Amino acid sequence: MRLSVQSLSLSYGSRKVVNDVTFDVEAGEMVSIVGPNGSGKSTLLRGMSRLQKPSSGRVLLGDNDIRTIGARVVARHLAILPQSPDGGSDLTVRELVFRGRFPHQGLMQRITPADVVAVDWAMEAADVVVLAERTIGSLSGGERQRAWIALALAQQPRVLLLDEPTSFLDISHQVEVMHLLRRLNREGMTVVSVLHDLILAGRFSDRVIALSQGEIAFDGHPVEVLEPVGLERVFGVAMMVLRDPETGMPIPLPRPDPELCPVAHVEP
Amino acid sequence: MAGMTVSTTSHDGALTRRAVLRPLRPLLLLAGGLLALLVVGLLTLKMGAVSLTWSEVFKGLTTDSDPLARNIVWQIRFPRLIDGMLIGAALGVAGALLQGVTRNPLADPTILGVTAAAGLASAAAIVANPQIPQWGIAAACAGGGLAGAGILYFIAYRGSVSPVRLALAGVALSALFGAAIVGLLSSSRTFLQTSLGFLAGGLYGSEWRDLRAMTPYLVPGFLGAILLSGRLNVLALGDDVASGLGVMTDRTRLAILAVVGLLTAAAVATAGLVSFVGLVCPHLARYTVGGDNRVLIPVSALYGALLVSSADLAAKLLISPSELPMGIITAGVGAPFLLYLVRFRE
Repeated sequence: MRLSVQSLSLSYGSRKVVNDVTFDVEAGEMVSIVGPNGSGKSTLLRGMSRLQKPSSGRVLLGDNDIRTIGARVVARHLAILPQSPDGGSDLTVRELVFRGRFPHQGLMQRITPADVVAVDWAMEAADVVVLAERTIGSLSGGERQRAWIALALAQQPRVLLLDEPTSFLDISHQVEVMHLLRRLNREGMTVVSVLHDLILAGRFSDRVIALSQGEIAFDGHPVEVLEPVGLERVFGVAMMVLRDPETGMPIPLPRPDPELCPVAHVEP
Repeated sequence: MAGMTVSTTSHDGALTRRAVLRPLRPLLLLAGGLLALLVVGLLTLKMGAVSLTWSEVFKGLTTDSDPLARNIVWQIRFPRLIDGMLIGAALGVAGALLQGVTRNPLADPTILGVTAAAGLASAAAIVANPQIPQWGIAAACAGGGLAGAGILYFIAYRGSVSPVRLALAGVALSALFGAAIVGLLSSSRTFLQTSLGFLAGGLYGSEWRDLRAMTPYLVPGFLGAILLSGRLNVLALGDDVASGLGVMTDRTRLAILAVVGLLTAAAVATAGLVSFVGLVCPHLARYTVGGDNRVLIPVSALYGALLVSSADLAAKLLISPSELPMGIITAGVGAPFLLYLVRFRE
């Protein structure tokens, strides 16, 4: 299911944060949205779901405007995981994941066999089956993030949007979450994540979209777009790009300042 | 890692037992609660200024054969019992909804000023027209309750508001409306024993017409609460998550607060300013059945009914043949209980 962002502008009050942005996300793509703080990337993600009303422009899910087809209909096809959600800490993981069935359920949220199947699948996919009876508050950061991803998966979405799914996680949990997203993507899910970390964006995406001051600065395959000049323009810092010796994918890094960064004295 | 594995397996048995018992627990509680309610109900019908025999209670409840028993049981005690149970249930549900929607364990119709808003409307109606029929009082209360809930919405959801600020705003509103009520009552000639009963909260003299007057607000209130309980569950995960799951967050909150206004108004119209029921019952319910509002709300209703009907029985018996305002008992039981929760839980 294609997600089309068409001339989308988003504002907070009179301050325009995203300015006339247009792009399509094709079914099955894995897209990362990057950009400096305040560039509007989280706001863009909110506008691509129904969390924020556009000041102009529209977002189509398939052929339908997400603002006109109803919140629950959208939620059956598109899931969004906000940045570090804080609710539900007294729920068990299973209870939390069941709440992801809300858009599929009737007036009284009676649980059907389809709900049970979807929840079991979501918990298995996000690898939280062993945590099922633990409360959210008792989980580590990585476990908690996987539980929230399981909630989004229980919606059985075709498109999954995530706002900084790896922030506040240590490196092994970051990799764990990115591997999970990549596996879901391999199985056909469209995944769009706002990422802070350019190295993760370079390693795991099919496509990187960079925002700068609310507009698209570059958009393309990481090998093409993650290059020093473009990155420098977007992030305002001197950059260099290494090649991952195993995959050939780009590893963007800030250039060291010769006066401030220590230099290793390598033995010849 | 090894240590973790060991501790998980040692908890496995307890976990499965808990998992099996979990769905049964609300049902057991429901059965026990209904039984307790039945016992309190029967005692209420039997005991009071005049103590009846069980056969008189039965006769009074079912036939016209004994005029005295019929009058005491059917015209006085039974309607008052039903009123008390419904008011308790209404306040329990209102408290559970408020605590859910504000994500604040301190929320309660009294603390957030909804009770006082309904009470002010009621007092104003009575002072303006001392002959006002009960349905008029109930209608005024509903107006006041909805207005109070509207003010709360306005204060609480212009941007994000911390639990502390919400509670402070509620305390201020409550004090303001409370002062207005006392001012109104004391400047009018109707400041009598009944005013005291109204201020403390009580069921003195409540009868069938009170039930008829509050039914139009109770029915949509209870129905609304049940229908909104699933959405409230999702809302508890935070606004962004709830929106992402397809809940219209603002509309849902407004609907929930309207339901709170109606339920609180129904209670105030009949029993005056009863406090602590809406605060304590949801806590007790959460402690016994957990945070799922689809279970929590009915159980809060049950505890509310039980608390108010037992408090009313105690209010009638403690200084018999005179009686205390029932609200004194709910506060007397509720406040220490809350202090206990604050000190020893969480």
